Amino acid sequence: MESKPPLGGPDDARSLLHVADESSRRLTAGLRLPAGLYPVLGAAVAVQIGTAAYGIAQQTVRGLAVALAGLVVFLLVAAGLLHQFRRINGVRVDGLASRLLLGSGSIASLGYVGGLAAGTWAAFASLWWVVVAAAVVGGVAYAVGARDWWQAYRHDPVTHERGASPRMLAVLAVVVCLGLAALLVVG
Amino acid sequence: MPELDPLIHHPARLQLVTSLAAVSEAEFSTLRDLLGVSDSVMSKHVSALADAGYLTSRKGLHEGRRTTWIALTPTGRKAVRAHVAALRRLIATVD
Repeated sequence: MESKPPLGGPDDARSLLHVADESSRRLTAGLRLPAGLYPVLGAAVAVQIGTAAYGIAQQTVRGLAVALAGLVVFLLVAAGLLHQFRRINGVRVDGLASRLLLGSGSIASLGYVGGLAAGTWAAFASLWWVVVAAAVVGGVAYAVGARDWWQAYRHDPVTHERGASPRMLAVLAVVVCLGLAALLVVG
Repeated sequence: MPELDPLIHHPARLQLVTSLAAVSEAEFSTLRDLLGVSDSVMSKHVSALADAGYLTSRKGLHEGRRTTWIALTPTGRKAVRAHVAALRRLIATVD
């Protein structure tokens, strides 16, 4: 049975808004990230950067296969983390998916591109310890970007909730994998 | 007086749509527990808002069981923003 809506005076409006805001706050305050999300994400990105740098520098079919394998590992880890988040909380947040899969945001983007560029240069020079260091730096920056987004989301969920839809992210992932696979076949 | 949307002026519905505005999609039971209402009351609110084009619902899985996932439509998001703004204007008239 529905109760009648309040009359619409300022006091009713204040009370309604308070209850609604409190409800939204309780929902977002109760959200939990999967255990170990930041280190797991950082490690997956480091693996992806390292394998990509190796693959680009090798310029062989084997190198491309390694790069593709690194990408698949990263995608599987990110998809697993997102699935866990939904299972734990009973909600989906597209902004989180965009942060995990696309690394959008200045810290994550700069860290990733910088790590990949430095790692690739080092791989061409066969400086493997530099490849590892660059991959780790890229992974850490990516994880820090995800952490910063999470804190911003908790502070203002409505503004930060948005991101690419799961369908769009899946299409992007398939396109990237097919692109690498095509290079593998052509190579 | 600012124009209020009668469809989401009901306290439970306003709680429902403002909570959904903070996420992309939420599971039926998560929202039901948040609002502290029964399945039937929750279904009634969801149906009314879905009929108005404010919400979409789809069947899915949660923890291995079939369930319903609910999301605000762009129209619903716009309606929430407008309604909350109208409420704030109403409050501002006496502050």
